[in-house]
Amino acid sequence: MIGSPDVVAFTKEDDFGDSFSDPLSLPDEFSVPLFTHAANANPWTKTSYAKFSKDFILISEFSEQVGPQPLLTIPSDPKVCGTFDLNYFSLRIMSVDYQASFVGHPPGSNYPKLNFVEDSKVVLGDSKEGAFAYVHHLTLYDLEARGFVRPFCMAYISADERKIMQQFQELSSEFSKASECLKSGNRKAFANELEKKLKDLEYTRSVLHKETELQKMNNGCYSTQAIEKANELANVEKSIYEHKDLLRQITSYPSRRKRDVDFVQCEAEKPPVMDETLKDTNPSDSAENTVETESRKSSYTPQLIKAKSAKCFDKRLKTLEELCDTSFFLQTLEQLNAVEKSFRGDLCFIYTSQIDRALVSKQRVTSFLFEAEHDWEDGGASKNFSIPSNNPTIPILNFSGEPLSLDSYTTCIDVDHLKPGVESGEGPPESSTSDITQETSEAADTETKGSFSSDKSIEALGSVSPSSLQTNFFDGLERRSKISIPSYSDNASSSIAVPHRRSDGNLVQMDAACCIGQDGFIFEDPLPELAQECCGDTVVNQEPLSLLHGDPALQMDYILEESPNMGLTFSELNTSVLSEEVAKINIEDVFDRTSFMSISTSSDRAVSPFTYGSALTVKQKKKAGHSALRFIRQYPFAQQAISCLLSGRTLVILGVDEGTVRKLVNALFIFVPNLGKYGETVQPWLSTPFQLTDLQRWKLIGLQRAVSPAGSSILHSLNRYSRYISILDCDNKTLRCPPYKGTLISHLADHRTQIKRGSTYFLHIQGMLTQLTAKAFLYTFCHHIHLPMDINDQGSVTSRRTNFLLQLGYTVEESKIIQYLSELIKQHYIHGSAKVGNPSFSFNYTTSYLYKI
Amino acid sequence: MSSACPPQSPAVAKTEVLVDDCCPVLAATFAYWDNILGPRVRHIWAPKSQGLLLLSDGEVTFLANHTLNGEILRSAESGAVDVKFFVLAEKGVIIVSLIFDGELKGDKNTCALSIILPQSELSFYLPLHAVCVERLKHVIRKGRICMQKGYNIISMLSSEIVPIMELLTSMKKHSVPEEVDLKDTVLNDDDIGDSCHEDFLHKAISSHLQTCGCSMVVGSNPEKVNKIVLTLCLFLTPAERKCSRLCHPDGSFKYDTGLFVQGLLKDSTGSFVFPYRQVLYSPYPTTHIDVDINTVKQMPPCHEHTYHQRRYMRAELSALWKAASEDDFSSDNLINAQDSYTPDLNIFQDVMHKDTLVKSFIDEVFLLKPGLSLRSVYLSHFLLLLHRKALTLLRYIEDETQKGKKPFRSLRNLKTDLDLTVEGDLNIIMAMAEKLRAGLHSFVFGKSFLTSVQERDLLINF
Repeated sequence: MIGSPDVVAFTKEDDFGDSFSDPLSLPDEFSVPLFTHAANANPWTKTSYAKFSKDFILISEFSEQVGPQPLLTIPSDPKVCGTFDLNYFSLRIMSVDYQASFVGHPPGSNYPKLNFVEDSKVVLGDSKEGAFAYVHHLTLYDLEARGFVRPFCMAYISADERKIMQQFQELSSEFSKASECLKSGNRKAFANELEKKLKDLEYTRSVLHKETELQKMNNGCYSTQAIEKANELANVEKSIYEHKDLLRQITSYPSRRKRDVDFVQCEAEKPPVMDETLKDTNPSDSAENTVETESRKSSYTPQLIKAKSAKCFDKRLKTLEELCDTSFFLQTLEQLNAVEKSFRGDLCFIYTSQIDRALVSKQRVTSFLFEAEHDWEDGGASKNFSIPSNNPTIPILNFSGEPLSLDSYTTCIDVDHLKPGVESGEGPPESSTSDITQETSEAADTETKGSFSSDKSIEALGSVSPSSLQTNFFDGLERRSKISIPSYSDNASSSIAVPHRRSDGNLVQMDAACCIGQDGFIFEDPLPELAQECCGDTVVNQEPLSLLHGDPALQMDYILEESPNMGLTFSELNTSVLSEEVAKINIEDVFDRTSFMSISTSSDRAVSPFTYGSALTVKQKKKAGHSALRFIRQYPFAQQAISCLLSGRTLVILGVDEGTVRKLVNALFIFVPNLGKYGETVQPWLSTPFQLTDLQRWKLIGLQRAVSPAGSSILHSLNRYSRYISILDCDNKTLRCPPYKGTLISHLADHRTQIKRGSTYFLHIQGMLTQLTAKAFLYTFCHHIHLPMDINDQGSVTSRRTNFLLQLGYTVEESKIIQYLSELIKQHYIHGSAKVGNPSFSFNYTTSYLYKI
Repeated sequence: MSSACPPQSPAVAKTEVLVDDCCPVLAATFAYWDNILGPRVRHIWAPKSQGLLLLSDGEVTFLANHTLNGEILRSAESGAVDVKFFVLAEKGVIIVSLIFDGELKGDKNTCALSIILPQSELSFYLPLHAVCVERLKHVIRKGRICMQKGYNIISMLSSEIVPIMELLTSMKKHSVPEEVDLKDTVLNDDDIGDSCHEDFLHKAISSHLQTCGCSMVVGSNPEKVNKIVLTLCLFLTPAERKCSRLCHPDGSFKYDTGLFVQGLLKDSTGSFVFPYRQVLYSPYPTTHIDVDINTVKQMPPCHEHTYHQRRYMRAELSALWKAASEDDFSSDNLINAQDSYTPDLNIFQDVMHKDTLVKSFIDEVFLLKPGLSLRSVYLSHFLLLLHRKALTLLRYIEDETQKGKKPFRSLRNLKTDLDLTVEGDLNIIMAMAEKLRAGLHSFVFGKSFLTSVQERDLLINF
């Protein structure tokens, strides 16, 4: 205990109470130091005096020939022990027989008795060596040992005394398991050894018996040799009895019921033995003995035991592996290796991990967000919920079989699926099972309604009437008004003029009538006269952006103005279709090519490895923290990227080099909420275009940039889905995403941080995400902010929610993060798993900016 | 087993300790290694329980001798006290043994002070192990001086063994349970302020956390005292809760050094005798909470507390060393005899630093509906945050100083990087980190504190 304050030598320089020498002053050995190392005491010093580099396990034996000796260490690397004297410490920990129990021949009895001794556990230290140990004493049995006993101990040796004592219960539990494994193997080996010994003895007895009879027959009377043989025979029979009793004792151990069969066999063998001693010699007996001998030879060849065999100190004692069955011995070593690994490192990390595990176990509702280790629970409700979402796709496939149409239809379905989430949010924070069932039914009903509405939209393809078109537009507008999340609009100004206008046109038309809009967009390309119509659309499209922020009355005006233009465009489209059948053929070719690409993409996704999620090892955490630390230092827009991930906006990392892209994915995946048990929300590398459906489950995507037709398709898909995603271009060092303002992520990812190591930064991230999770939990289950005053008071609820988040100190952007996490919590709370039947999809009409280094 | 042990000659002296209830301790022993006769038991303390003794004197003697075996070649530092801990399943007992150097009959020898408990009390005892060991260590320091001066050590040892037996007896029935039900605390109130003032609750919890979870709650109403005790215990680990004690309705409990949270009652006149020495010997600084007048006061941080504690210890041991006779060994005389040191009796001060962690938690937890498990879950989030921040802070300092090899000079950066710019927040996290790595406060703040102490002493001398 060199590092202990009680024994640290006190220097006079620190003695302020006794400034002068006093003959009556208290000697240092009877006092305590006023300061520990003059205020520069190193809290880590206590563990640096040890002569070994790290904790290890030592197995020692109190040998009856040479005394206490070390047998092996775990780990076996000699560098671990360093200059630590294993022999001395073995002597130290085994200098006393802590069993304190008598084995062998108890007084007053002529027969040996086995005591199944309980293990003793001792914590002791050697302050001179700087070593402290948890010592687990156990007793193994060896037929060739003195008193049949071989004392052993297993010790966990550490330089930290507190660690040993604080983890005593855990160490005791683990070492008891290892000890029980050793002892089980030992009992088995001991029983086998006894059985062999008995066979030898019985064989010896038969030989002696023959010799005795031979002596009598030859001389006709008892001679000296005959008497000696008879005495030897008696001794052998006594040994047989003793060994059978030992076998009975070892096999009667309570947990080894299988040995009862052997016990019965031993009992059955007793009567013949006694009978034989009483019967006279006759040929039939000899024949019987011969039969017994032959039967034993089939499994084991008995050996003749010499009359004067005795133990001697030159005999080699069995090794530990020989004492136990080999399989048990190896299993014990595996257990001890696992013990050494689990207790490796500083006590503060072990202790904190235990506390964290206990606390996280109380957070079933939220632990799925960022905690690495937990079990998913797939409730029946979630499975039932997933069934209705499959039904609407069947009519679409039968109707057209066109992938683009399917994509467009999926967009409509996604919008509809937002309703259940919003509705469930309005309910009480906790609900009974029947309520959950009711909500599930309501969701199914909503799904059915959505399906019907979509069918109605598709039927409009056959109608050319402008009034039908107007009706579809109003339906879309009504659907959009139910979405609580603000709409999104991509306002990038650096794009080429013509593609930009076309994209905007596509956007507006899709809102009105998804399928019709898509077709219209395709037909505009080959016709020169339609270019003027695009210019016209540009003029019209200037108004929606401003109107979205204006009065509702102005929006109505916009609708009225839009209607005639849409009608005219549709009429011209109809004429073109009728007059140019060749163009239609080209369109079909485009569809076929798209189908092929879809198949290719599917196969690529099927083989993607799941390398994220699940339980993170210490090294993985360190690596993740290191990558994240490098990322926030190199990229000044790191906060914006992290904001996207935390708010549920998919982040696409685009680059030519796969290694670079993967590194960035590794740096950012720890910020992805609801990572999944197998990290299924992260796609580290994708070389083919992704579809809209992929955005429902992938939140972090590594995408290959290639100068090829496939690359063009990738760029095309990026442009198509730009409203849903943010793009981190690692080749050009740019990030396109909505802006972020606030302090929440500033504390999480400050590029000026002085944190030096990745593992430390990972701990910091973990703490901040824990705090964020707590706020999301509070927002989700805070009762009063989600209760409407009446059915039509949705605005009041929205207002209260907004004010609540503002009072917590969150900006608008940060509120989106809280709301997204809250939505995930609700889904998980209601359905039990956020993965099954959760096609929830959200997008925002928010301006994106281009960030550069 | 008695027949297996030779009878002791002469008979071992024995003290029967009167305890009000069933004591979990079987016996305590003082043994030494006689250079001629080997291990010998000098004295036995046994609780006088209502039932039959579970161990005979012979068995106690055997066990005590057994723990001293193997120490004949002991070569520890001078003045060192080594702790050994035994779980002898074969005997069904656990033994805590403190090995130290002593001087009996004019000879240097190895001594052992041991406490024996049934093995069934293992899980009960382990959380209290550190408390018992620290208190026994200190009485051994005093005992070694007694032996050196030729005085009777038994009475000195009795002055601590009896209170420890009483402590363990009280903890059997009045220990805080491992898991505290939120319904028994003020956090289950419909709104903050229902049972205590909002600012009082904030100060109490904040100071409680700033003093490493070590608090004493004093009042006249036992129900109210216990409610606050349980509330504070929500912020402790399960092992620390088992090291905390509720107040007894009859007010018979006294302050015990080493417990985390303990409730104490005032006497019938409404006064409370402040146990100065015992509080000062607490391993952590302590928060003093008076639920009658809603006051919260706290001791200085760990590094200052350690300094004051050690200074008082040195004064006590020095006075004992200079005592002319055994009659001067009482605590009161010790204090008076030491002229060179005047203890500062006003060691409690107002809570100086505000925090945002506890403030936010209290404001937010009462927004959740009571009676459900929502508040418990939210509390677990808060505790998880504290533990993780503490570990991060510790790791940060390790990185900066290469595990203490270099001085720590980046306190400002630490505050910024770990979002601990508010002084109270830093104090809370530092206190939690101190429990993970003892001596952290002294390492970070000790140098500046030492400088201020030196300057003060210089001025006094001048």
